[in-house]
Amino acid sequence: MRILTKTSLYYLLVSVIVFLLGGLSFYKILQTEIYDEVDDQLFTDKENIIEYIRRHNELPSVTSGISEAIIVRETSANAGALEALSDTLIFSTYDEEYVPFRKLTFTTYQDGKPFEYTILKSLMDFEDLFESTMLAMAWIFVLLLVGLAGVNYFINKYNWRNFYDTLERAKRYSLTQRKPLVLKPSNTQEFQELNEVLQAMTGKIHNDYLNLKEFTENASHEIQTPLAIVSNKLELFMQSDNLTMQQAAMLDEMHASINRLSRLNRSLILLTRIENREFSENEVIPLHELLQEQLDQLQEMMQMHDIQVEIEAMQPVFVEMNTGLCEILISNLLLNAIRHNSTGGIIRINLQADELCIKNSGEALQDEPVSLFERFRSGGKFSGSLGIGLALVSKISELYQLQPSYTYEEGLHVLRLNFQKKIA
Amino acid sequence: MKLLIIEDEQGLNASMVSYLQQGGYTCDAALNYRDGARMLADQHYTCVLVDLTLPGGSGLDLVRLLKKNSPDTGIIIISAKNALDDKITGLELGADDYLTKPFHLSELNARLRSVIRRRNFNGQKVIQIGSLEVHPDSAEALVQGRKLTLTKKEYDLLLYFVTNKNRVLTKDSIAEHLWGDHIETLDSLDFVYTHIKNLRRKIVEAGGEDPITTVYGMGYKFSF
Repeated sequence: MRILTKTSLYYLLVSVIVFLLGGLSFYKILQTEIYDEVDDQLFTDKENIIEYIRRHNELPSVTSGISEAIIVRETSANAGALEALSDTLIFSTYDEEYVPFRKLTFTTYQDGKPFEYTILKSLMDFEDLFESTMLAMAWIFVLLLVGLAGVNYFINKYNWRNFYDTLERAKRYSLTQRKPLVLKPSNTQEFQELNEVLQAMTGKIHNDYLNLKEFTENASHEIQTPLAIVSNKLELFMQSDNLTMQQAAMLDEMHASINRLSRLNRSLILLTRIENREFSENEVIPLHELLQEQLDQLQEMMQMHDIQVEIEAMQPVFVEMNTGLCEILISNLLLNAIRHNSTGGIIRINLQADELCIKNSGEALQDEPVSLFERFRSGGKFSGSLGIGLALVSKISELYQLQPSYTYEEGLHVLRLNFQKKIA
Repeated sequence: MKLLIIEDEQGLNASMVSYLQQGGYTCDAALNYRDGARMLADQHYTCVLVDLTLPGGSGLDLVRLLKKNSPDTGIIIISAKNALDDKITGLELGADDYLTKPFHLSELNARLRSVIRRRNFNGQKVIQIGSLEVHPDSAEALVQGRKLTLTKKEYDLLLYFVTNKNRVLTKDSIAEHLWGDHIETLDSLDFVYTHIKNLRRKIVEAGGEDPITTVYGMGYKFSF
């Protein structure tokens, strides 16, 4: 949940609670006040009636007084003195509804005879007043709530804008870009500190990354020359006439190892160069032709392993990529399909308008499919391979956003590339 | 045939000189830009092997110089930089080939031969070793006048052997020559064996002697 939504929600929640409690107590206070007032009026009437009887020794005319109705009834002597205050509902024929009344019943004596007086006071006016007050309150509440929430939202949004800007830039920041992370200065102390910390941190990481990259690049390049010297000297050594069998075997092993090292180094340099985006010259490549070319080149190897190629579909597809990289990509995919195949197996190729799918028979992987695209991952039994082929595929796919995916379906390894974003 | 090798790395320079001298070339060596430029001005060479990163200047400048002053000299660039740009620039300037370090001396020799063959329009186009004739123009080979039916790979292999005759060629260098980067694939060394076996058989069937000998399991040697 966004921080703005979150604070707004908390704000609303607190406001609702405060307003509810406020409304409730307001209601209670108002009610108490009204009852007090009404009761005062009833008692005033009662006092007046008793005073009138005491002074004139006769019953007053019943309609006078502040209250709406006064009912007098002679009561039996043994009923006893009584004074009761209560609420009641009386049906009003005019409004055709029950109307709330406050009622005071008391007994008084005239010439020793008891009379029961009931004074009724309509609460209707008060109810109306009450209702309109509550309604006004509700309106004030709603308006205040909306207004405050809005103001709060905009103030927060304004205050947090630098934070969102920083967040957006940090998200877009990539180490492989050569640009440092530049953030907008903020006058909020915390955000300014955050910016400074982030900038210092990414600057440091960027430097370390560059140093490491430079080191790797230099190392790879510098290794080439000594490798060439060793390899060439060994080759010259091999031309000697008087080598013993053992010496020859050792020379052979040394030479093979040096060769392996050279190839490994070459592949690593290639990977680094792809990472450095050194292959920026793109051309429109007929993928179907390139695929066919690579298939022809590898035909011999497939025949040796008795591998059948089945072409399910080969639609003309034109992609915009670097020719060299595209060749490396396709040949590595095919080589992978040959290498991890079984003798007498099959390779199925399906080239659709936007997708290349290469399936090959072979044993299921023991590893996680995710690690398939990592460097130096090679199925145990092929010690000769460097396991860098699919790492290259992965790097190139990343460069061109080809979304490589791997699945194992019905005994077939399935590798898919999506060329949608690169169609020319 | 006279060659100039301009390479600042002493060890590498010496190896190339040594290998190529054994192949019958006359070789001069320069270790820096200044010496290289001076020697190019003084003498005429059939082919020049030049490193791109030299003390005192860029090998690309030497290529430009050569193209201007002596356009019929073959040029092979040798570089530790596998940078595509350099390769393209070098070839655009008129270099005949480009080799990335590290390379096999036998591969260098093969490339050199091919450059000289392509440049030497008036020279003899047929390579003759005993009763074996190789016609690089038509990609044909004959033994005692009889044409060999060779696959593309077998022909390439034969040409590689012929260029590096009497040398021990390692299986690795043969595999790399024939398949380039695809060598990584499983069993490429077995392919080498199969191809050599077929080539031997075809030459013998055509009436020639088996020209290929196995050297201690280290590699193969061709002598006719």
